[in-house]
Amino acid sequence: MNKEFIKGFFKENPIFVLLLGLCPTLAVSTRVINALGMGAGVIFVLLGSNIFVSLLKNFIPDKVRIPAYIVIIASFVTIVDLVMQAYAPSLSESLGVFVKLIVVNCIILGRAEAFANKNTLGSSVLDALGMGIGFTLGLLLISFIREVLGNGTITVFAFGNFDGVLRIPILYQAPVRIFSLSAGALLVMGFLLGFFKWYGSRKKGEQA
Amino acid sequence: MKTIFLTGGKLALICAVAAVALGFVNSVTAPKIEEINKQNLEKALKVVVPEGQPGDEVAVGQGAVASYYPVTREGIISGYILRLTGTGYGGNMNILAGYDLEGRVTAAVLMENEETPGLGKEAENQKYMEKYRGKGGKEPVPVSKKDLPAEAAESISGATVTFSGIGRALSEGSTYVKTKGGSR
Repeated sequence: MNKEFIKGFFKENPIFVLLLGLCPTLAVSTRVINALGMGAGVIFVLLGSNIFVSLLKNFIPDKVRIPAYIVIIASFVTIVDLVMQAYAPSLSESLGVFVKLIVVNCIILGRAEAFANKNTLGSSVLDALGMGIGFTLGLLLISFIREVLGNGTITVFAFGNFDGVLRIPILYQAPVRIFSLSAGALLVMGFLLGFFKWYGSRKKGEQA
Repeated sequence: MKTIFLTGGKLALICAVAAVALGFVNSVTAPKIEEINKQNLEKALKVVVPEGQPGDEVAVGQGAVASYYPVTREGIISGYILRLTGTGYGGNMNILAGYDLEGRVTAAVLMENEETPGLGKEAENQKYMEKYRGKGGKEPVPVSKKDLPAEAAESISGATVTFSGIGRALSEGSTYVKTKGGSR
Protein backbone atom coordinates (compact mmCIF):
# COMPACT_ATOMS: atom_id res chain seq x y z
CA MET A 1 0.00 0.00 0.00
CA ASN A 2 2.70 2.47 0.98
CA LYS A 3 4.59 1.61 -2.17
CA GLU A 4 1.97 3.45 -4.27
CA PHE A 5 2.46 6.55 -2.16
CA ILE A 6 6.25 6.64 -1.94
CA LYS A 7 7.06 5.77 -5.55
CA GLY A 8 6.14 9.23 -6.84
CA PHE A 9 8.72 10.93 -4.62
CA PHE A 10 11.82 9.50 -6.16
CA LYS A 11 11.66 6.14 -7.96
CA GLU A 12 8.91 7.24 -10.35
CA ASN A 13 9.14 11.00 -9.85
CA PRO A 14 6.86 12.48 -12.52
CA ILE A 15 9.29 15.23 -13.52
CA PHE A 16 12.70 13.61 -13.30
CA VAL A 17 11.94 9.97 -14.07
CA LEU A 18 8.62 9.78 -15.95
CA LEU A 19 9.32 13.13 -17.67
CA LEU A 20 5.65 14.14 -17.45
CA GLY A 21 4.34 17.68 -17.21
CA LEU A 22 7.55 19.36 -18.29
CA CYS A 23 5.89 22.26 -20.09
CA PRO A 24 4.33 23.89 -16.99
CA THR A 25 7.40 22.90 -14.99
CA LEU A 26 9.71 24.91 -17.19
CA ALA A 27 7.31 27.81 -17.47
CA VAL A 28 6.26 28.53 -13.89
CA SER A 29 9.44 27.63 -12.01
CA THR A 30 10.68 31.22 -11.78
CA ARG A 31 9.59 31.72 -8.17
CA VAL A 32 9.30 29.34 -5.22
CA ILE A 33 5.75 30.46 -4.47
CA ASN A 34 4.70 29.59 -8.01
CA ALA A 35 5.96 26.06 -7.42
CA LEU A 36 3.93 25.80 -4.21
CA GLY A 37 0.79 27.16 -5.87
CA MET A 38 1.14 25.05 -8.97
CA GLY A 39 1.93 21.99 -6.86
CA ALA A 40 -1.16 22.52 -4.71
CA GLY A 41 -3.30 22.93 -7.83
CA VAL A 42 -1.91 19.79 -9.43
CA ILE A 43 -2.32 17.74 -6.23
CA PHE A 44 -5.96 18.81 -5.96
CA VAL A 45 -6.77 18.10 -9.60
CA LEU A 46 -4.88 14.81 -9.57
CA LEU A 47 -6.65 13.69 -6.42
CA GLY A 48 -10.08 14.64 -7.80
CA SER A 49 -9.55 13.05 -11.18
CA ASN A 50 -8.00 9.87 -9.78
CA ILE A 51 -10.87 9.44 -7.32
CA PHE A 52 -13.56 9.91 -9.96
CA VAL A 53 -11.82 7.89 -12.65
CA SER A 54 -11.30 5.05 -10.21
CA LEU A 55 -14.92 5.18 -8.99
CA LEU A 56 -16.36 5.39 -12.49
CA LYS A 57 -14.02 2.92 -14.14
CA ASN A 58 -16.83 0.39 -14.68
CA PHE A 59 -19.37 3.04 -15.67
CA ILE A 60 -17.34 4.83 -18.33
CA PRO A 61 -17.49 2.94 -21.66
CA ASP A 62 -14.04 2.05 -22.92
CA LYS A 63 -14.57 3.77 -26.29
CA VAL A 64 -15.11 7.23 -24.84
CA ARG A 65 -12.88 6.97 -21.78
CA ILE A 66 -10.46 9.71 -22.86
CA PRO A 67 -13.19 12.34 -23.47
CA ALA A 68 -14.77 11.36 -20.16
CA TYR A 69 -11.44 11.75 -18.33
CA ILE A 70 -10.86 15.12 -19.98
CA VAL A 71 -14.28 16.36 -18.84
CA ILE A 72 -13.56 15.25 -15.26
CA ILE A 73 -10.08 16.79 -15.28
CA ALA A 74 -11.24 20.02 -16.91
CA SER A 75 -13.95 20.44 -14.28
CA PHE A 76 -11.46 20.18 -11.43
CA VAL A 77 -9.05 22.55 -13.16
CA THR A 78 -11.80 25.12 -13.62
CA ILE A 79 -12.66 24.83 -9.93
CA VAL A 80 -9.00 25.40 -8.99
CA ASP A 81 -8.78 28.34 -11.38
CA LEU A 82 -11.91 30.05 -10.07
CA VAL A 83 -11.03 29.48 -6.41
CA MET A 84 -7.50 30.77 -6.96
CA GLN A 85 -8.77 33.90 -8.72
CA ALA A 86 -11.18 34.56 -5.90
CA TYR A 87 -9.00 33.79 -2.88
CA ALA A 88 -5.37 34.08 -4.07
CA PRO A 89 -5.45 36.71 -6.84
CA SER A 90 -1.73 37.49 -6.82
CA LEU A 91 -0.81 33.82 -7.14
CA SER A 92 -3.36 33.35 -9.90
CA GLU A 93 -1.85 36.32 -11.71
CA SER A 94 1.70 35.03 -11.57
CA LEU A 95 0.74 31.50 -12.64
CA GLY A 96 -1.29 33.02 -15.46
CA VAL A 97 -2.48 30.68 -18.13
CA PHE A 98 -0.67 27.68 -16.63
CA VAL A 99 -3.42 27.02 -14.13
CA LYS A 100 -5.82 26.46 -17.01
CA LEU A 101 -3.21 24.38 -18.76
CA ILE A 102 -3.22 21.84 -15.90
CA VAL A 103 -5.99 20.31 -18.06
CA VAL A 104 -3.44 19.17 -20.61
CA ASN A 105 -0.77 18.38 -18.04
CA CYS A 106 0.09 14.83 -19.01
CA ILE A 107 0.71 13.80 -15.39
CA ILE A 108 -3.00 13.91 -14.70
CA LEU A 109 -4.30 12.17 -17.81
CA GLY A 110 -1.31 9.83 -17.59
CA ARG A 111 -2.18 8.72 -14.06
CA ALA A 112 -5.89 8.38 -14.94
CA GLU A 113 -5.09 6.19 -17.93
CA ALA A 114 -2.14 4.26 -16.53
CA PHE A 115 -3.23 3.81 -12.92
CA ALA A 116 -6.63 4.97 -11.69
CA ASN A 117 -8.74 3.11 -14.25
CA LYS A 118 -7.14 -0.21 -13.28
CA ASN A 119 -6.81 0.15 -9.52
CA THR A 120 -8.97 0.49 -6.44
CA LEU A 121 -10.04 3.78 -4.95
CA GLY A 122 -7.60 3.52 -2.05
CA SER A 123 -4.49 2.96 -4.11
CA SER A 124 -5.59 5.60 -6.64
CA VAL A 125 -5.79 8.16 -3.85
CA LEU A 126 -2.32 7.19 -2.63
CA ASP A 127 -0.99 7.29 -6.18
CA ALA A 128 -2.45 10.78 -6.72
CA LEU A 129 -0.99 12.10 -3.46
CA GLY A 130 2.41 10.54 -4.08
CA MET A 131 2.64 11.73 -7.68
CA GLY A 132 1.33 15.17 -6.77
CA ILE A 133 3.84 15.58 -3.96
CA GLY A 134 6.60 14.24 -6.19
CA PHE A 135 5.70 16.81 -8.83
CA THR A 136 5.64 19.58 -6.23
CA LEU A 137 9.03 18.55 -4.85
CA GLY A 138 10.56 18.50 -8.33
CA LEU A 139 9.06 21.89 -9.11
CA LEU A 140 10.29 23.28 -5.78
CA LEU A 141 13.83 22.11 -6.47
CA ILE A 142 13.94 23.69 -9.94
CA SER A 143 12.31 26.95 -8.93
CA PHE A 144 14.51 27.25 -5.84
CA ILE A 145 17.65 26.99 -7.96
CA ARG A 146 16.27 29.33 -10.61
CA GLU A 147 14.98 31.98 -8.24
CA VAL A 148 18.08 32.05 -6.04
CA LEU A 149 20.50 32.27 -8.96
CA GLY A 150 18.32 34.23 -11.38
CA ASN A 151 16.78 36.80 -9.08
CA GLY A 152 18.65 36.53 -5.78
CA THR A 153 15.41 36.07 -3.85
CA ILE A 154 13.25 33.35 -2.34
CA THR A 155 9.57 34.25 -2.54
CA VAL A 156 7.27 32.48 -0.09
CA PHE A 157 4.06 33.50 1.63
CA ALA A 158 3.76 37.01 3.00
CA PHE A 159 2.70 37.32 6.63
CA GLY A 160 2.81 40.14 9.17
CA ASN A 161 5.53 42.65 8.38
CA PHE A 162 7.34 40.15 6.20
CA ASP A 163 6.54 40.73 2.52
CA GLY A 164 7.29 37.12 1.63
CA VAL A 165 10.51 37.82 -0.24
CA LEU A 166 13.85 36.71 1.20
CA ARG A 167 16.65 38.68 -0.42
CA ILE A 168 20.03 37.06 -0.66
CA PRO A 169 22.87 39.58 -0.40
CA ILE A 170 25.27 39.88 -3.35
CA LEU A 171 23.08 37.66 -5.56
CA TYR A 172 20.20 40.10 -5.18
CA GLN A 173 22.35 42.98 -6.42
CA ALA A 174 23.91 40.97 -9.24
CA PRO A 175 21.73 38.01 -10.16
CA VAL A 176 22.53 35.60 -12.99
CA ARG A 177 19.58 36.70 -15.08
CA ILE A 178 19.73 33.83 -17.53
CA PHE A 179 18.29 31.49 -14.90
CA SER A 180 15.03 33.47 -14.87
CA LEU A 181 14.72 33.09 -18.63
CA SER A 182 13.58 30.07 -20.60
CA ALA A 183 17.13 29.08 -21.45
CA GLY A 184 17.95 28.87 -17.74
CA ALA A 185 14.95 26.62 -17.15
CA LEU A 186 16.18 24.15 -19.75
CA LEU A 187 19.71 24.36 -18.38
CA VAL A 188 18.67 23.63 -14.78
CA MET A 189 16.31 20.89 -15.94
CA GLY A 190 19.07 19.28 -18.00
CA PHE A 191 21.58 19.21 -15.16
CA LEU A 192 19.03 17.87 -12.69
CA LEU A 193 17.94 15.16 -15.13
CA GLY A 194 21.57 14.20 -15.65
CA PHE A 195 22.06 14.01 -11.90
CA PHE A 196 18.99 11.85 -11.35
CA LYS A 197 19.97 9.50 -14.18
CA TRP A 198 23.50 9.18 -12.81
CA TYR A 199 22.21 8.57 -9.28
CA GLY A 200 19.68 6.02 -10.51
CA SER A 201 22.20 4.07 -12.55
CA ARG A 202 24.73 4.08 -9.71
CA LYS A 203 22.13 2.59 -7.37
CA LYS A 204 21.28 -0.10 -9.88
CA GLY A 205 24.97 -0.89 -10.27
CA GLU A 206 25.31 -1.43 -6.53
CA GLN A 207 22.46 -3.91 -6.46
CA ALA A 208 23.85 -5.99 -9.33
CA MET B 1 -27.38 1.44 -32.29
CA LYS B 2 -28.07 0.75 -28.67
CA THR B 3 -24.41 0.98 -27.71
CA ILE B 4 -24.08 4.37 -29.42
CA PHE B 5 -26.93 5.81 -27.36
CA LEU B 6 -25.66 4.17 -24.22
CA THR B 7 -22.09 5.45 -24.74
CA GLY B 8 -23.22 8.93 -25.76
CA GLY B 9 -25.72 9.06 -22.95
CA LYS B 10 -23.14 8.16 -20.32
CA LEU B 11 -20.76 10.80 -21.65
CA ALA B 12 -23.56 13.36 -21.67
CA LEU B 13 -24.43 12.45 -18.09
CA ILE B 14 -20.83 13.00 -16.97
CA CYS B 15 -20.80 16.36 -18.76
CA ALA B 16 -24.09 17.38 -17.18
CA VAL B 17 -22.91 16.55 -13.66
CA ALA B 18 -19.67 18.45 -14.29
CA ALA B 19 -21.58 21.47 -15.61
CA VAL B 20 -23.82 21.59 -12.54
CA ALA B 21 -20.82 21.37 -10.22
CA LEU B 22 -19.01 24.15 -12.08
CA GLY B 23 -22.09 26.34 -12.10
CA PHE B 24 -22.24 26.03 -8.36
CA VAL B 25 -18.55 26.91 -7.87
CA ASN B 26 -18.90 29.84 -10.25
CA SER B 27 -21.87 31.25 -8.36
CA VAL B 28 -19.74 31.26 -5.19
CA THR B 29 -16.56 32.74 -6.69
CA ALA B 30 -17.88 35.16 -9.33
CA PRO B 31 -18.91 37.99 -6.95
CA LYS B 32 -15.60 37.61 -5.11
CA ILE B 33 -13.57 37.85 -8.33
CA GLU B 34 -15.52 40.88 -9.48
CA GLU B 35 -14.89 42.57 -6.16
CA ILE B 36 -11.13 41.96 -6.45
CA ASN B 37 -11.05 43.39 -9.98
CA LYS B 38 -12.98 46.43 -8.82
CA GLN B 39 -10.61 46.95 -5.87
CA ASN B 40 -7.58 46.72 -8.15
CA LEU B 41 -9.09 49.27 -10.51
CA GLU B 42 -9.95 51.63 -7.68
CA LYS B 43 -6.45 51.34 -6.23
CA ALA B 44 -4.93 52.04 -9.63
CA LEU B 45 -7.26 55.00 -10.20
CA LYS B 46 -6.12 56.47 -6.88
CA VAL B 47 -2.46 56.20 -7.93
CA VAL B 48 -3.15 57.74 -11.30
CA VAL B 49 -5.23 60.69 -10.04
CA PRO B 50 -3.85 62.01 -6.79
CA GLU B 51 -6.18 65.00 -7.03
CA GLY B 52 -9.43 65.55 -8.85
CA GLN B 53 -12.37 63.28 -9.34
CA PRO B 54 -12.58 60.71 -12.12
CA GLY B 55 -15.92 60.73 -13.94
CA ASP B 56 -17.72 57.90 -15.65
CA GLU B 57 -15.89 55.59 -17.99
CA VAL B 58 -16.38 56.31 -21.72
CA ALA B 59 -15.60 53.50 -24.17
CA VAL B 60 -13.37 54.38 -27.12
CA GLY B 61 -11.87 51.27 -28.73
CA GLN B 62 -9.53 53.12 -31.08
CA GLY B 63 -6.05 51.66 -31.47
CA ALA B 64 -4.44 51.26 -28.07
CA VAL B 65 -7.04 53.42 -26.32
CA ALA B 66 -9.77 51.21 -24.88
CA SER B 67 -11.66 53.81 -22.85
CA TYR B 68 -11.20 57.00 -20.85
CA TYR B 69 -12.41 58.73 -17.70
CA PRO B 70 -12.53 62.53 -17.74
CA VAL B 71 -10.98 63.94 -14.56
CA THR B 72 -12.62 67.04 -13.12
CA ARG B 73 -11.42 69.38 -10.41
CA GLU B 74 -13.92 71.91 -9.09
CA GLY B 75 -16.16 71.28 -12.09
CA ILE B 76 -13.50 71.89 -14.74
CA ILE B 77 -11.79 69.12 -16.74
CA SER B 78 -8.22 68.89 -15.51
CA GLY B 79 -7.06 65.78 -17.33
CA TYR B 80 -7.92 62.29 -18.44
CA ILE B 81 -7.35 58.73 -17.32
CA LEU B 82 -6.95 56.33 -20.21
CA ARG B 83 -7.25 52.59 -20.23
CA LEU B 84 -4.68 51.42 -22.74
CA THR B 85 -3.83 48.07 -24.28
CA GLY B 86 -0.18 47.52 -25.13
CA THR B 87 1.60 44.54 -26.58
CA GLY B 88 4.31 43.10 -24.36
CA TYR B 89 6.55 40.06 -24.39
CA GLY B 90 3.79 37.78 -23.11
CA GLY B 91 0.79 39.15 -25.01
CA ASN B 92 -1.50 42.03 -24.18
CA MET B 93 -0.92 44.33 -21.23
CA ASN B 94 -3.55 46.56 -19.71
CA ILE B 95 -2.29 49.96 -18.65
CA LEU B 96 -4.07 52.68 -16.74
CA ALA B 97 -2.55 56.10 -17.35
CA GLY B 98 -3.31 59.64 -16.26
CA TYR B 99 -2.67 62.60 -18.57
CA ASP B 100 -2.89 66.34 -18.13
CA LEU B 101 -4.58 68.43 -20.81
CA GLU B 102 -1.32 68.89 -22.75
CA GLY B 103 -1.01 65.11 -23.12
CA ARG B 104 1.78 64.70 -20.55
CA VAL B 105 1.80 61.42 -18.64
CA THR B 106 1.16 62.22 -14.98
CA ALA B 107 1.13 58.62 -13.76
CA ALA B 108 0.71 55.10 -15.07
CA VAL B 109 -0.01 51.66 -13.65
CA LEU B 110 0.53 48.33 -15.36
CA MET B 111 -2.53 46.19 -14.66
CA GLU B 112 -3.17 42.66 -16.03
CA ASN B 113 -0.18 41.30 -17.93
CA GLU B 114 1.68 38.09 -18.71
CA GLU B 115 5.22 39.47 -18.62
CA THR B 116 8.21 37.49 -17.38
CA PRO B 117 8.60 37.60 -13.59
CA GLY B 118 11.82 39.34 -12.61
CA LEU B 119 12.11 41.09 -15.96
CA GLY B 120 9.03 42.53 -17.67
CA LYS B 121 6.96 42.18 -14.50
CA GLU B 122 9.19 44.78 -12.83
CA ALA B 123 7.05 47.30 -14.70
CA GLU B 124 4.35 46.70 -12.07
CA ASN B 125 6.45 48.72 -9.63
CA GLN B 126 5.61 52.38 -9.47
CA LYS B 127 9.30 53.30 -9.73
CA TYR B 128 9.44 51.82 -13.20
CA MET B 129 6.82 54.23 -14.47
CA GLU B 130 8.99 57.23 -13.48
CA LYS B 131 10.69 56.86 -16.86
CA TYR B 132 7.49 57.92 -18.61
CA ARG B 133 6.30 60.57 -16.18
CA GLY B 134 6.02 64.07 -17.61
CA LYS B 135 6.67 62.84 -21.14
CA GLY B 136 4.24 63.14 -24.03
CA GLY B 137 3.89 66.94 -24.09
CA LYS B 138 6.85 68.61 -25.78
CA GLU B 139 9.15 65.65 -25.19
CA PRO B 140 8.04 62.39 -26.80
CA VAL B 141 7.26 59.32 -24.66
CA PRO B 142 10.33 57.03 -24.66
CA VAL B 143 9.68 53.88 -26.69
CA SER B 144 13.12 52.32 -26.97
CA LYS B 145 16.24 51.90 -24.90
CA LYS B 146 18.14 54.62 -26.76
CA ASP B 147 15.54 57.22 -25.67
CA LEU B 148 16.66 56.76 -22.06
CA PRO B 149 19.63 58.02 -20.05
CA ALA B 150 22.29 55.35 -19.48
CA GLU B 151 21.28 54.43 -15.93
CA ALA B 152 17.59 54.04 -16.72
CA ALA B 153 18.44 52.09 -19.86
CA GLU B 154 20.42 49.64 -17.74
CA SER B 155 17.38 48.95 -15.57
CA ILE B 156 15.25 47.75 -18.49
CA SER B 157 17.94 45.44 -19.87
CA GLY B 158 16.44 42.11 -20.82
CA ALA B 159 12.92 43.49 -20.92
CA THR B 160 12.98 46.06 -23.67
CA VAL B 161 9.91 44.59 -25.37
CA THR B 162 7.83 45.35 -22.28
CA PHE B 163 9.28 48.86 -22.10
CA SER B 164 8.56 49.63 -25.76
CA GLY B 165 5.09 48.13 -25.52
CA ILE B 166 4.14 50.37 -22.61
CA GLY B 167 5.86 53.36 -24.22
CA ARG B 168 4.03 52.95 -27.50
CA ALA B 169 0.65 52.60 -25.76
CA LEU B 170 1.33 55.68 -23.60
CA SER B 171 2.45 57.65 -26.63
CA GLU B 172 -0.71 56.75 -28.53
CA GLY B 173 -2.72 57.75 -25.47
CA SER B 174 -0.95 61.09 -25.38
CA THR B 175 -1.86 61.76 -29.02
CA TYR B 176 -5.46 60.85 -28.25
CA VAL B 177 -5.60 63.22 -25.27
CA LYS B 178 -4.25 66.05 -27.44
CA THR B 179 -7.07 65.54 -29.94
CA LYS B 180 -9.63 65.60 -27.10
CA GLY B 181 -8.33 68.99 -26.05
CA GLY B 182 -10.30 69.39 -22.84
CA SER B 183 -13.71 68.24 -24.09
CA ARG B 184 -15.73 65.62 -22.26
